[in-house]
Amino acid sequence: MGELSPCCGTNRSYFWKLLACFVVYVLFGAVVFSAVELPWEMKMRRELDRMKSSFLLEHSCLLEEQLDAFLSTVLDANNYGISALRNASNDQNWDLPSSLFFVSTVLTTTGYGHSVPFTSGGKAFCMVYSILGIPITLLLLTSLVQRLMFYVYWAPITYIHMQWGLSVNTVARIHAVVTGLIVIGCFFLLPALAFMNMENWDYLQSLYYCFISLSTIGLGDYLPGKSGRHPSLQHLYKIAIACYLAVGLIALLIVLESFYELRELQRFVALIMGRPDREKQLHVMEKEVAITASKLEAEGLDDCGAEGRSADEPTPETAGQPPAKQ
Amino acid sequence: MCARICCTWRCLLLFLSYFVYLLIGAAVFQALELKEESELKARVWRKKAQFLNSSSPSAAREALEKLVEAITEAVKHGVNPVGNDPDSSHSNWDFSSSFFFAVTVVSTIGYGNISPTTPGGQIFCVFYALFGIPLHVIILTRVGKNLTSHTEKLSMYLSKKGMKEKRVKILTFLFFLVIGAVIFLALPPFVFCLFENWSYREGIYYAFITLSTIGFGDYVVGVDPHRKFHRFYRTSVAIWILFGIAWLALLFNLLSTFMEDTEKKIAEINRKKKAAKEKMNFKYDANTNLSSEDVSMLCSEMSVRKGAQEPFEQQELSQADLKIIASDHDQEETKPEFLNAKISDQETSLNIICPTITNPRQTCLPREKISQDDQ
Repeated sequence: MGELSPCCGTNRSYFWKLLACFVVYVLFGAVVFSAVELPWEMKMRRELDRMKSSFLLEHSCLLEEQLDAFLSTVLDANNYGISALRNASNDQNWDLPSSLFFVSTVLTTTGYGHSVPFTSGGKAFCMVYSILGIPITLLLLTSLVQRLMFYVYWAPITYIHMQWGLSVNTVARIHAVVTGLIVIGCFFLLPALAFMNMENWDYLQSLYYCFISLSTIGLGDYLPGKSGRHPSLQHLYKIAIACYLAVGLIALLIVLESFYELRELQRFVALIMGRPDREKQLHVMEKEVAITASKLEAEGLDDCGAEGRSADEPTPETAGQPPAKQ
Repeated sequence: MCARICCTWRCLLLFLSYFVYLLIGAAVFQALELKEESELKARVWRKKAQFLNSSSPSAAREALEKLVEAITEAVKHGVNPVGNDPDSSHSNWDFSSSFFFAVTVVSTIGYGNISPTTPGGQIFCVFYALFGIPLHVIILTRVGKNLTSHTEKLSMYLSKKGMKEKRVKILTFLFFLVIGAVIFLALPPFVFCLFENWSYREGIYYAFITLSTIGFGDYVVGVDPHRKFHRFYRTSVAIWILFGIAWLALLFNLLSTFMEDTEKKIAEINRKKKAAKEKMNFKYDANTNLSSEDVSMLCSEMSVRKGAQEPFEQQELSQADLKIIASDHDQEETKPEFLNAKISDQETSLNIICPTITNPRQTCLPREKISQDDQ
């Protein structure tokens, strides 16, 4: 089991190479972001200073310290999602639906930051809540994905393999690509259209928002649900978005699992992780298909089909899956 | 079929309890924060009114609205004109800040205090994250393995000393938890107190929110324009983030494994009770042919007789861990999956065991039992 112990020589060098790659990648990102965003920032700063000084000139009885003090308060409040603008909506940030939305962003570790706990008690509760909640969410997600994988992945592949006689790997590839396209269409392209119409964003910004949210980065620079709308509609909208994010996350996970099952990707990952000798895992897909085939046949014979096999196991049957993932 | 219904009910129960957990959280947050929010709102509006009263009349209101709107928008993107020297060299997109931003994107923390505003920046951000997040996950897996290798050494040392299996597990877990919490959660806030002038509580809050990759962005290191930061401050923070995320993710993984194990144990106890009951019925029905229920009962009896308790537990643990490995390379599940080093020796044995489960008539049985029998 030397391959799993990171103290062996080959693994050490792999680790440092990997780390070096990572550092280079991050540096590369830094350079590009800097080059692209800095000019805009400089322009914005100049404009803002111009605006501020002209405001002060116009209202000469006003001292800069007064204005700064006022602006500080406004900006601090803004940090917590409270706007001092006249036409700002009266939506509360902590009514029940908004809290629900907040909680869902915390548990999926997205963390937009549009509303953050202000009180010490809120902060402490947030920490305790997440320490328990994030593992639960993880468990739920993995369970769901494993369960769905049978219906969405193994069953169709086995069926097509048996009916049409194509090789397992070919079917898997086609399936992965098709699933990927469907998910991109349903969870990125279409919702972006919806957001474009509901919010004041253009299509690129909506796509950007969808990606940043589903990947759980959650920058929070774009947030749906700010425009003035009927309050109950607003609540429904927020809840719908939370559901979209949850389902989208699950769909994304399924797509990634599908891709991971591909032989090519497994070889590639084994290479990167420095685990050279994994020949046996390349045949696992065939074994898994055989298992699924017998299960599908069994479903016709007795009631103990896909559900029944995990008689008392609430969490998904993993026994068949793990060998594929090693 | 009873088992099927049981399973569906259990699933529903799981979902329901999860939803209830969400509702509870929402309600508590609301209770804690709502009052404070309305007070803050009132304060801000009072200040605004005061301000407007002190300055000249109506023309000021419009101009002020515009100014506040512009500044709010700017602050969203990290440009804060309050008390700032316009020619100051501080920028949100100088190299070190961009570096920090790249780290937060790739680790999916995503503070949001600065974010790309230009279309080019946004497109690049998307593709950058698309490739960067898997890379980050792979790195984290490796770092996680490094971390667990230490606990592995400890557990081997303890086992050699002759301690019981279960105790070793608990002790190594505690060791992992406490040492990690001290290094990653308890000590860094002191540094933040020094450099950022936050209170210790705020420091811990920031540390946790960052390491769990939630990343609200209400507290961020190294962005205060009024403070001078040491050159390597943010680099050391980035390193802390990398290792800390790995540690916390491992912890979450262990916790979720523990929850799953507890659930499985409860299910196991229920199953044994049922089997014992069936056994009593079977003894009076000796002429019937063996059906699948009888097989199941016999199997469970055999495994109980085999003294399967301890090794079965191990098997269970490995099953759960394998599931976690299963999502190991699942790139979107960036936060949690790591190998529990303990399963390293179980991996190959289970690899042999699992594919032998092919008999559909026995699919009502838990796989571990069958595999044990097949072995």
